[in-house]
Amino acid sequence: MNTSDDNLADRVAIDEIISRHNGKPGSLLTMMEEMQETNEYKFLDSDAMSYLSAQTKTPLSQIYSVATFYSFFNLKPQGKHTIIVCRGTACHTKGSKVLLDDMSSLPGCKEALDAGENSFTTEDRLLTVKTVACFGQCALAPVVAVDGVIYSNVTSEQIKKILKNLQEGNKDENIRLR
Amino acid sequence: MEKKKIKVTIDGHPYEVGSGKTILEACNETGVMIPNLCYLKDVSQNASCGICVVEVKGAKTLVRSCVTGMREGMEIVTHSPQIDQARKTNLELILANHPKDCLVCERNGNCELQDLSAQLGIKEDAFPRTKPHMLPDDTSLALFRNPDKCILCGRCVAVCAEMQTVYAIDFTGRGLRSRIGTFQDKGLGNVACTSCGQCALVCPTAAIVERDETNEVFCDLYDNDKIVVVQTAPAIRVGVGEAMGMDEGALVTGQMVAALRKLGFDKVFDTQFTADLTIMEEGYELINRIKTGGTLPMVTSCSPGWIKFIEHFFPKSLDHLSTCKSPQQMFGAVAKTYYAEKMNIDPRKLVVVSIMPCTAKKFECKRPEMQSAFHYWKEKIGLAEHESFFDVDYVLTTRELAKMFKRKGIDFEHLKEEEFDKPLGISTGAGVIFGATGGVMEAAVRTAYEVLTGKPLEKIDLTAVRGFEGIREAELDIAGTKVKVAVAHTLKNARTLLEQIEEGKSPYAFIEVMTCPGGCLGGGGQPIPTTWAIRQKRADSIYKEDKLHAIRKSHENPAIKAIYEEFLVEPLGHKSHELLHTGYVERGIF
Repeated sequence: MNTSDDNLADRVAIDEIISRHNGKPGSLLTMMEEMQETNEYKFLDSDAMSYLSAQTKTPLSQIYSVATFYSFFNLKPQGKHTIIVCRGTACHTKGSKVLLDDMSSLPGCKEALDAGENSFTTEDRLLTVKTVACFGQCALAPVVAVDGVIYSNVTSEQIKKILKNLQEGNKDENIRLR
Repeated sequence: MEKKKIKVTIDGHPYEVGSGKTILEACNETGVMIPNLCYLKDVSQNASCGICVVEVKGAKTLVRSCVTGMREGMEIVTHSPQIDQARKTNLELILANHPKDCLVCERNGNCELQDLSAQLGIKEDAFPRTKPHMLPDDTSLALFRNPDKCILCGRCVAVCAEMQTVYAIDFTGRGLRSRIGTFQDKGLGNVACTSCGQCALVCPTAAIVERDETNEVFCDLYDNDKIVVVQTAPAIRVGVGEAMGMDEGALVTGQMVAALRKLGFDKVFDTQFTADLTIMEEGYELINRIKTGGTLPMVTSCSPGWIKFIEHFFPKSLDHLSTCKSPQQMFGAVAKTYYAEKMNIDPRKLVVVSIMPCTAKKFECKRPEMQSAFHYWKEKIGLAEHESFFDVDYVLTTRELAKMFKRKGIDFEHLKEEEFDKPLGISTGAGVIFGATGGVMEAAVRTAYEVLTGKPLEKIDLTAVRGFEGIREAELDIAGTKVKVAVAHTLKNARTLLEQIEEGKSPYAFIEVMTCPGGCLGGGGQPIPTTWAIRQKRADSIYKEDKLHAIRKSHENPAIKAIYEEFLVEPLGHKSHELLHTGYVERGIF
């Protein structure tokens, strides 16, 4: 097992998470969620899952089962910013596919999503593009979430602007939740 | 205690059935069979397939009979147009994502999905495929998984978790991407899987099967340059008959030997010979450990799934394992040294094929340390490194052997019985019972008692360690010394005994562990289906065969006496250590 120093920092944090939750019913989900938040790149890395398994005596296959069931969990390093495009029926009819296609300005993004991946991260780890089945905000379709903030009735023009702002580090107060 | 009976109505007829049963069990008890697929008695009730639905008066929808309890006064209908249509639709939905390559499938003719399709009268492809194709998992030396053939019944997951406590596989993904998988989809060969093959034994389709090596063996059999010898494990003679259409647990030793000759094996030998040899080595090892204060309890090492289990999950306890190789590996080493030398055969041309009730043996024979005969000859006649060979070349399961018999057109049932070849086919009743849980213990006691006391054992049958209770124990009085022993089968029960050892609370001197339920006779390579009732019949045949042997103690086997006189010199001697003993590795969980 890898015991390099930067992993050790994680270990302390994971130990702390385990000590707060271990043994309580349904604690696995909470521990995994907090572990992912603790990770610099917001994902469940292999070592962390192995460590959790050993410390809580939870079989690795079960941890992986949970991690792959919930789309919330990431098994790959995530970008600094996350854009989530809703692909539910309402958003689809209101043009969410077009918004997704607008992401093709990011090299490799379209190919990854077309191949059935539900997430794509740019090589510089600046941006992650994901899809979800439904946000439950169908009246505001199409809906996009950027770093946890929901944007509604999003147009192609707006998403390109958001993308540009994220890439250039600009803040834009003109695109808000409507 | 008499179980309470309850009154119910099934298909308009009144019945009295035992309480505490599911609708499915209660109906089966009265002779009304409900079609089902994912449910498997004693293994799993996942209620995922929706085939076993029935009407219950007063219920709003059809209910799944495999998980619904039968209650007093229930009125059940098991067949109606609505029920039949629901079953058919549910099956058609499963079939939509199942390949229709039955003709070329491993399980053609022995597939629950195929049988059910015929039973429910499926005539056409009703629905198009919706799932993406998934890659097969061929990382394991023992097992092969084809996720496209998986119907997600969950039996394999249940047997791996609940019976074996190994948890190598689980449901992964969601929706159309749901699949049975390993941690990070590494594949069975790259995670803590023991290769026991119980998953393959319970799989209703060909989603998990053994790694098929029949073609390779046929190639060597047809190669005139090679001398191909075969060894058969004790449990094959009570299993292969079933796979050839005979009664459950049929004892077919003589036919099996005749059929193996017909297949073209140059010599037909018996793993029971090396089972007897194992008793000599292991018996002396135990006596030695007791006398010199070695690590106790000593645990048997015949079952390769168990070995891999302890290497993965309890690496700190490896010292407790007997250093004896399993009988199959002892056979390979002895055949390619003692026998080759005796018969003046070039060991490079000698091919050893094992017929095993086991998938883990396929893994065992490819362990890098299992090349003792090569090292023996390397020293003796200077073989080069590139000429290296394994002690055992191929391991075939009982199922694979039956396939070979069928391919060769052998009328198995009507063959005239034949005898094993000498000398590696000579064995005792003690060797036979290796095939049942408790057998190694009983065989060891038969020899250890006589060696230690110098007196003949009055009661040969050690019934205390027989049967299918998960963990059984006995206290033996050997020349005034009381020795506690225990027997466990399935890895769940083995885990219990190991935890006791690691806590320092184990009261035993000697423990026998078998990976599979019932011992080798219930092995992962045995005919499908294998139920507890079938295991019992196979066990009955094993003990019957034991009684048929004129000699029932390993140390009285004349061929064993001869191999020590001619070759090995003495138990635990130098040659034994080179050829018959081995070491273990720490694997950890990953």
